[in-house]
Amino acid sequence: MALADVVFQLGLVVVAGHLLAMLFVVERSGRRRSRGLVSLVDRIRSNLTAVAPTLGALAAVLAVNKVVRDVGVELSWLIGINLTGNIYLLESQFVATIQRFAHPALTAYFGFVYVFGYTFLLTFPVLAYAICERARPLRVLFRAYILNYGIGLLCYVLFVAYGPRNFMPELVEPLLYASWPQSQLLVQQVNVNTNVFPSLHASLSATVALLAYRFRAVYARWLPVATALAVSITVSTMYLGIHWATDVVAGIVVAWVSVELAERTEEGTIREPLRRLQGRESEAVRR
Amino acid sequence: MAESSKGCGVRRREMLGALGAGAAASVGGCLRRARSIAGWESMERVSLRIKTLPADADPYALHTARALTSWYQAAGIDAQVVPVSEEELLRQVLLSKDFDIFLIRTATIQRDPDIFYPLLHSRFADARGRQNPFGYTDLDVDEWLERQRRATGERRREIVAELQRSIARSQPFTVIGFPDEIRAARRANYTNWRSANLRAPQGYLTLKRGGEGPSETNEANAGDEEAVLRVVGTDRRATENLNPLSVEYRRSGVLTGLLYDSLGRVTSEGTTPWLAASWAFSETGDDPRAAVRLRSGQTWHDGEPLTAEDIAFTYALLADTSLGSSEGQDGETAAETRVPAPRFQGRSGLVEDVQAAESDVAVFRFRDCSPRVATRAFTVPILPKHVWQARTGPASISGIEVGSATEALVTNNIPPVGSGPLRFVQNTPRESLVLETTGNHFLFDERDAGEREVVGPPEFDRLEIQVVGSDDAAVGVVAEGDADVTGTPVGADTVPRIGRTGGLELLVNRSAAPYIVGYNTQIPPLTNPRFRHTLARLVDRSHIAADVFNGYARPAVSLLEGTEWVPDDLRWDGTDPVTPFLGTEGELNIPQVRSEFRNAGFQYEAEKLVRMT
Repeated sequence: MALADVVFQLGLVVVAGHLLAMLFVVERSGRRRSRGLVSLVDRIRSNLTAVAPTLGALAAVLAVNKVVRDVGVELSWLIGINLTGNIYLLESQFVATIQRFAHPALTAYFGFVYVFGYTFLLTFPVLAYAICERARPLRVLFRAYILNYGIGLLCYVLFVAYGPRNFMPELVEPLLYASWPQSQLLVQQVNVNTNVFPSLHASLSATVALLAYRFRAVYARWLPVATALAVSITVSTMYLGIHWATDVVAGIVVAWVSVELAERTEEGTIREPLRRLQGRESEAVRR
Repeated sequence: MAESSKGCGVRRREMLGALGAGAAASVGGCLRRARSIAGWESMERVSLRIKTLPADADPYALHTARALTSWYQAAGIDAQVVPVSEEELLRQVLLSKDFDIFLIRTATIQRDPDIFYPLLHSRFADARGRQNPFGYTDLDVDEWLERQRRATGERRREIVAELQRSIARSQPFTVIGFPDEIRAARRANYTNWRSANLRAPQGYLTLKRGGEGPSETNEANAGDEEAVLRVVGTDRRATENLNPLSVEYRRSGVLTGLLYDSLGRVTSEGTTPWLAASWAFSETGDDPRAAVRLRSGQTWHDGEPLTAEDIAFTYALLADTSLGSSEGQDGETAAETRVPAPRFQGRSGLVEDVQAAESDVAVFRFRDCSPRVATRAFTVPILPKHVWQARTGPASISGIEVGSATEALVTNNIPPVGSGPLRFVQNTPRESLVLETTGNHFLFDERDAGEREVVGPPEFDRLEIQVVGSDDAAVGVVAEGDADVTGTPVGADTVPRIGRTGGLELLVNRSAAPYIVGYNTQIPPLTNPRFRHTLARLVDRSHIAADVFNGYARPAVSLLEGTEWVPDDLRWDGTDPVTPFLGTEGELNIPQVRSEFRNAGFQYEAEKLVRMT
């Protein structure tokens, strides 16, 4: 079965990626503090205990996501707004312009990054933050994921939009599926072709990169890796003809909002800016 | 706008002054003038939305629609493409009539002029379903449609020619052309691909087992084990719904045609008996009658016997899926509250009534038609009474009745109980569907094998349908050896790949399912036949056939192109004889376009086409 092959390949590559990245990112920077395997297991256990409610919430959101992917499409045709034409009016043939630089080597690279790089980028921080000394990075990560999926899901129900490869087939080639048709078997398991706005590929990658920056004190070496991968994945969504530039911009906005909210809820400071804002307003009134 | 401000150009101070001076009379005059100008002001840009399928679902539709919008825009029309999923498109177009223009590939067109009757008769203009989606009304066309049903021979040919000329002029829809159907088939497990017509249910029954030697080992070749025919397609709807009456879930009806038998099947010689052993027409009065004798010993997939009662029930249900059960509400009679099936109305409408005379003889009375046209009614699927009788009540969601639809129209009908050569095994929505052969079918009956020359019992035991996201992926699955054939036709882009891959056969067949552009003739400016006529002249169909279809299509004027029914003056001869392209080589001649639109009563403002509202 072709799908099983693709999943197997994906698993193999991602596990290999995890091992390499562990050696590069965690092992060396953590060596000073390392106190043996026992403390590692303890740390993972205590971190998992600390983030258990958040993890549960994430699992619930992912489960809902799975259900909504099937039901949501129906619902979204019922109540959603078809944005495709408007996005095209907004950015016209930008994606077709990007594809003018198409080259087999680039296609291979971006195709690899889109499928393998993305899975790695999303899963690695979970492992990495699980073994660090504090529970906070892991909890913020999970919260940001929850927010990403939540906002994404809401948008997918509210908006119907097809990607550029579906809208201007004469200008934009489905490069990923043309060069590696089996990948579509995998992609169609997780994606519906009317759900392109915003790009979850862009938003989740950007989320990981933003968090890598916030927690650069924990894993300094992770920041450049995460940034490079996130940028590549973001470009790949457009290069492969899957997303519009508008989706990517919206995705980055979703990422920023999710990270901000995740941090604020973690610190309990979500009210403060509001209070500050209110204060400014009342000042203005007094004046 | 500029004129009005000049004519009434009063500054605020002057206005106050005027008011202050008590010169209210002059203000009154000014307002009157503004009102009369307003009557002339309401010009509106002509704006059209073309609804069509995304590239994943149809390899050509969206590209064609974009070519159309670029011509429309060049002509000054505000045009935009709206991609919609197939199921949703059919729902919006056929059920809620929520569209300006749609571009779609039709279902396979039967080679009989009576197809125009349900498509264009004004009695269906407000009906939901496959009938008259354009909302087209024309009394002359109505008359021709009715007369061709009764006429025979040369007379009918003349009426049909007149009818087609009128349609070509008034353009309720524009025929883009007939595409070639491209498929990839694996030679390893099955043969006879070239002569099997996979657009009809019988095509799957004519495939032969065995292939090119034992180079590939597969379940299908492994001796006594089950033979599986694996089909991969891009249309997922059959995995979710197998109701033959659902208008938005059916395209060709091939799968439901394998599950459900009809009394007759369409062949090159017209309708020939299938589930019926024979039929005999008698013309006692004006209208024909027919006694239809069923093949003996037929059963439904659940073991119940198939009798003439089921035949009578089916035609009654197609005419009114509520079977009169909604009668009496608000003092309406049964005839007023009928809920007819949204498919097959043209065909079932030929039937006045059906009586079960004996357990295997049904007597049909037809209305206003010749026996030749009447046999068209024999091609609808026969449904089991014991299953569908319970579905005549109003449809409801969680017990709440919604709208006027009956359960029969909205049920997904899974598992289906039919009488066809294949029966349902299982489905995974959006992913797969499995059917298996049933030994009880008459095709397996050795006795009358001689009567059927081409179609024998299926040589496979199971039919597995797998759904993938696009035609590229479908060809990929066949190339990898995970399927035997692409069930839905694929785009011309995939041809080189099919040719390159060893063990694959490239199947290219002339199709009888054209791409058409349908207009909603009930909303302005599409109500205006001159406007539609000019709109059709903005489309260079030769250019589309070459550029979008890579030459794998033939442009056409009439839906009946390729049959003996098309008169010489309506045949495509490199250009359309009725609505020729206003330009050359895909480039519009803009001054000519503008003068055509002005002749049709439209105006141009700053190069934009506008109309009075």
